Amino acid sequence: MDNLIDLKKIWHSAGTDDLPSPEEVMQAAKKFRNQKLRKKAALILAAFLLVCVELWVVFVYKSTMLTTRIGEAFIVIAGTILLLTNANSIGRFYRFNDFSNKEFLAFLEQTRLNQIYYYKKTQVTAFVFCSIGLLLYPFEMLYTSPVLFFAVYAFIILYLCVLGFIVRPRVFRKQAAKLNDTIKKLEIVSKQLN
Amino acid sequence: MEFEEIYALYSPQIFRVCMGYINDHEQAKDLTQETFISVWQNLSSFKGQSKISTWIFRIATNNCLRAIEKSKRVMKTELPYNLPSPEEDAPEERLAFLYNCIARLDETDRIIISLVLEDLPQAEIATIVGLSNVNTRVKIHRIKEKLAAKFKQHGQFD
Repeated sequence: MDNLIDLKKIWHSAGTDDLPSPEEVMQAAKKFRNQKLRKKAALILAAFLLVCVELWVVFVYKSTMLTTRIGEAFIVIAGTILLLTNANSIGRFYRFNDFSNKEFLAFLEQTRLNQIYYYKKTQVTAFVFCSIGLLLYPFEMLYTSPVLFFAVYAFIILYLCVLGFIVRPRVFRKQAAKLNDTIKKLEIVSKQLN
Repeated sequence: MEFEEIYALYSPQIFRVCMGYINDHEQAKDLTQETFISVWQNLSSFKGQSKISTWIFRIATNNCLRAIEKSKRVMKTELPYNLPSPEEDAPEERLAFLYNCIARLDETDRIIISLVLEDLPQAEIATIVGLSNVNTRVKIHRIKEKLAAKFKQHGQFD
């Protein structure tokens, strides 16, 4: 195009005087980093504490029934799954730094596919382990008192049913629709570079 | 290189590239800020495998592409049938018209043409986008043709 020079002249006429100062950017950077990581870090910390507390209980509370031991083991497994998957996703977030646009689009697509896998498989697995653990663990303490037994188990079962059959599927449907939509858009843009 | 120096040198360029992509002043400012937040956070770990400008433009353009996920809308207003001739003094309108023409291109084309208008060498554009030099050259040629056609349609570059 012979007129590229004209276009460059127009392009460079854009005003850039109202951009923030470097100090303002650095200030925002500190705030931004904290906000972004706080939620994920809180989840990892919660999972870590759950695993630690459960392991501590295993050594302090000497149970006599196998159900308690299995319950403890299943809760620890659920906590570990949560801990590892979330720590790995934070790691991925930090590893992306110097990607070309093509690599970055592939990275985003893979991240969103991982997220769908997480909601579909990992979260369900952790939920199943945690549910079985929660059902088995209190048995030893409750089986001698029928009233307490029914009250506690009714509460646990109700809680797990609401979480497993109402809350989780609803959140999953919403998240999956959003993620699938994003993946489709990313696929379209990725094709532009093929 | 200190952050302040980098910011002074590259922030106008990054802003223009973001503006070319998103065609909205406030969103372009946000994208510029997000870019330099990443630069500030990762400057110590920047290994120098590529030129610092390549690294910064990669962060900026990847940030722009992330706008797809955040469903940030690219502003597209109606193109006027005829723009003032180049002799007439209407630089804002001509700039707005250029942004509107670019906004009608595909996402990656918008990035490539913005980098071309920033005078980046073709090899550097290829590294930023992740295409071969040959593919980049072909793409640039096609984008320029598309852009020229749009300008001609609206009474420019007779």
